[in-house]
Amino acid sequence: MTDEKIKVLLKAALPVAGDGELQRDLWPAMLQHIGAVEARRVRFTPWDWVIAGVVAASIFISPSLIPGLLYQL
Amino acid sequence: MNRHPYVRAYMAGVLLPNWLLLVVLVGLTVYGIPSPFERIIMFPLIVVPNLWGAWNTLYIAMALKRRLPLGLWGALLPLILLPLGLVLQRLLGLELFGWRDVVTALPLLPVAMGVYYLAWRHIVGFFNRVVGME
Repeated sequence: MTDEKIKVLLKAALPVAGDGELQRDLWPAMLQHIGAVEARRVRFTPWDWVIAGVVAASIFISPSLIPGLLYQL
Repeated sequence: MNRHPYVRAYMAGVLLPNWLLLVVLVGLTVYGIPSPFERIIMFPLIVVPNLWGAWNTLYIAMALKRRLPLGLWGALLPLILLPLGLVLQRLLGLELFGWRDVVTALPLLPVAMGVYYLAWRHIVGFFNRVVGME
């Protein structure tokens, strides 16, 4: 088999790549992926701030709670 | 799954000594611990970390995610830790807290539950996401 023959066979077997342009825009899919990752992240809600405030206030009012908290954390 | 490889490596490494400490705890409970200080630190050093792991495993194993947020699940843990601590101190021959002290320390419970809620919602939840469990 000659080089020319191999060349012809390869050209026939492999699809033409075209001009390299994508069939569709990939950026929206990328943005959707980034959004999905962000959505999985748990944010600090107002309710969380209320709980954190109550905990902080309790500790401030009664510092004797600190050893008990540290003992079981 | 390639995110936070060092956190995942640390979590994998810290597991075995935690389990071994449980064996140490059982051994020391059976044979007795000479130092009162060691008896006191047994609970926060051995029982609490392992119970956190078991509690999280239970959450995943029972597929509670659909029914209960992780923060609320974690907030329930102090309700178990408090009586468990009392039982353990009896087993270790300590008289740190009596039932009267428990009643006095009841205000600690909602504060502990609040701390646990935040810790489980934001920190344990983060670690669960790191290992791909959420």
